[in-house]
Amino acid sequence: MSPSAGAGLELRQLCREVGDRRLLDQLDLHVAPGECVALLGPSGCGKSTTLRLVAGLDPASGGQVLLDGVDLSDQDPGERQVAMVFQSYALYPHLSVAGNLELGLKVRGMAPRERQRRIEATLELLQLGELRQRRPAQLSGGQRQRVALARALLRQPRIVLLDEPMSNLDAQLREELRPELRRLLCGHEQPVIYVTHDQQEAVGMADRIALLDAGRLQQVGSPRELSTNPANRFVASFLGRPAINLLAMEPGRQLGLRPEHLDLGDDGAVAARLLRREWWGHQQLLWLDTPWGTLRVLTAPEVPTPREPRLSWQRQHELWFDPQSGARLRP
Amino acid sequence: MRLLVLLWSLGPLLWQLRTSMLRPEALVAPLLEGNPWTLANYQLVLSGDPPFWRYLGNSTLVGLATTVLTLLLAVPCAYGLHKERGPVRWGVGLALVAAAMFPTVLLFLALLEIARSFGLANNLLSLSLPYTALSLPLAVLLLRAAFADLPGELEDAARLEGLKLGQRLKHVLLPLLGPGLASTAILVFLASWNEYAIALTWISRNDLLTLPIAIARLGGGSVFTIPYGAFAAATVLGSLPLLLLVLLAQRSIVSGLTRGAVKG
Repeated sequence: MSPSAGAGLELRQLCREVGDRRLLDQLDLHVAPGECVALLGPSGCGKSTTLRLVAGLDPASGGQVLLDGVDLSDQDPGERQVAMVFQSYALYPHLSVAGNLELGLKVRGMAPRERQRRIEATLELLQLGELRQRRPAQLSGGQRQRVALARALLRQPRIVLLDEPMSNLDAQLREELRPELRRLLCGHEQPVIYVTHDQQEAVGMADRIALLDAGRLQQVGSPRELSTNPANRFVASFLGRPAINLLAMEPGRQLGLRPEHLDLGDDGAVAARLLRREWWGHQQLLWLDTPWGTLRVLTAPEVPTPREPRLSWQRQHELWFDPQSGARLRP
Repeated sequence: MRLLVLLWSLGPLLWQLRTSMLRPEALVAPLLEGNPWTLANYQLVLSGDPPFWRYLGNSTLVGLATTVLTLLLAVPCAYGLHKERGPVRWGVGLALVAAAMFPTVLLFLALLEIARSFGLANNLLSLSLPYTALSLPLAVLLLRAAFADLPGELEDAARLEGLKLGQRLKHVLLPLLGPGLASTAILVFLASWNEYAIALTWISRNDLLTLPIAIARLGGGSVFTIPYGAFAAATVLGSLPLLLLVLLAQRSIVSGLTRGAVKG
C-alpha cells in the first residue's frame, strides 16, 4: 500500500486511447466510501469510457484504478467485485427474474440454500417477489431496472457503477425512482459512480459532480460549487437551464450572466426590447434584444415589464471568461 | 395471389408425388381403361437390396456427423472473429467469403487423391470431413452475424458477474444464439444430404451409398427405359426426413434466416 493511499476508489491519471483517438485524458478522481459521484457531460465526453475502465471491461492505456489503496489494473472484471447497471439493463432474456439473479451466484459455486436465501432477501428488498418467474420481456421498464439493480446488489459489490440507469424511463418515473435509488445505493460502504448526461439527475443523485468534456475533466465539486464558481466557460454554460448569457462587452473579456441574476427595471446599464415571453408556471423567461445580442432573463411571473426595460445586475454575479480559451478570468 | 405463389413453390413437389404413384404407362399417355394409380413404384424402391432405409440411414449419419463437426468448429471461429477488430477480422472475413464461393468441382481430383492416400474411401464418417470443410466458411459467416446481433452489454454483464469464457458461451451466448444455430445447422445438414459428386467418388461399396447416389443407381429394365416412377418414389421418401426436420425447427429457422437477412 502506498503512503498516499486512502479508503475508497481512486482514479489516477487514467487514460484510454483507441487508435489515435483519445477517449479519456489523464483523469484524476477520488470517490470516498459511501459517496456518490456523478460523471456528467455531453455524449462522447468519456464518461461511459471511464466506467468501463473502472469495471475492467476495457484496458486502460495508462494510469491506475485503486480501491482502498490496492491497484485493480491486473484484475479481471469478475475479480473486481464491481456491480454495474447498464443503460440497456443487460438482463439475460432467456432466464426468469430469479434465473437472472441466480446465474452469477451459481457459477461462483455458492451452495443452493445460501443462493436461495440471498435471492429471496434481495427480491424482498426491491419488492420483486411476485415477479420472480417472469421473463425480462414480460416486465415494464421500471421493473426491469429494479431487476438490474437487484442483480447488481446481490453480489455485495465493493464498487457500484451506474451507466445512465434511468435514461430509458419516462421523466415521471425517473423522479419517483431517484430517492429509492439513493436509499439503496448511496451512503453504504461502497463508492458509487453514476454516469448521466442529465444535470437534473446528477444534482438529484450525487454528492459531487465531475463534469467531463472531450475526454478531459473540467471540474469536480458539489452541485452548488459548480454552478456558483465554475472553473471555465464550458462548466458555466453546461450547468443551469436556461443557459447562461455570454456577452462580449469588452475586448479580451467575455461576461457570463445567469438568466436568474438579471434584473428588469426602469433604470439599468443596458437598454433592451422585449422579444418574447415564455410562461414556465412558477417563473417566466423573457427574451430581450440588447446591443450585445439576445439575452435570456428569468423572473418571477408577477414582475411587470416596463415599456422600455433596462437591465441591471449585481457585481458579485459577474463571471468573466477568456473569449478564446474559455478559461475563467478572476479579478 | 397468395394461392399462385403457393402453387408456384409447391407445384413441382406435388407433380413429383403424382409421378411416384402412377403406373409407367400412365406417365406418357392417359390410360383409357383401368386405374392409373399404383404403389408399385414404392414397392420397387423399398424391396431393393440393400433395403432403402439403409441409404436413408447412411445419409442421416453423414448429415449428423457433418452438422455436429461443423458447428463444433464454427462456433469458436465465429466468436473469435466477432471479437476480433482491425485487419485480421477483415482479412479472415474476405478469405471466408472467397472460400465459400470457390467452385467445388475444382476440388474433386485433389479430394480423391486425399481419400486414396489416407484410406478415407468407403467410410461414412470420413465422408463428413470434406463436407465439413465445404460447409465451414458459410457456417462461420452466418454464426458471426448471429453473434454480432447479440447486445454486447449482455456479455459485459456476464463478465462482471465472474463468468469465464466457457461459462458465458454455455449459459448466456449459446442459448440466445438458438435461432442462428438452428438455421445454420439445417443449411449444413441439407448441403450434406444433397451432395452428389464427392459421395460418388469416395463411396463405392453398395451398402454404404448415400441417398442421391442410391437414387441415381435405380436401374430400369434396360438401358433404354428410365424408371421415372421409381425415381420419383425414392425422392419422395428421401424428402420425408428433411420435411420432418424443418417442421420441427420451423419457428427458429424462420426467425434465424430473416435475422441474417436484415443484418448481414
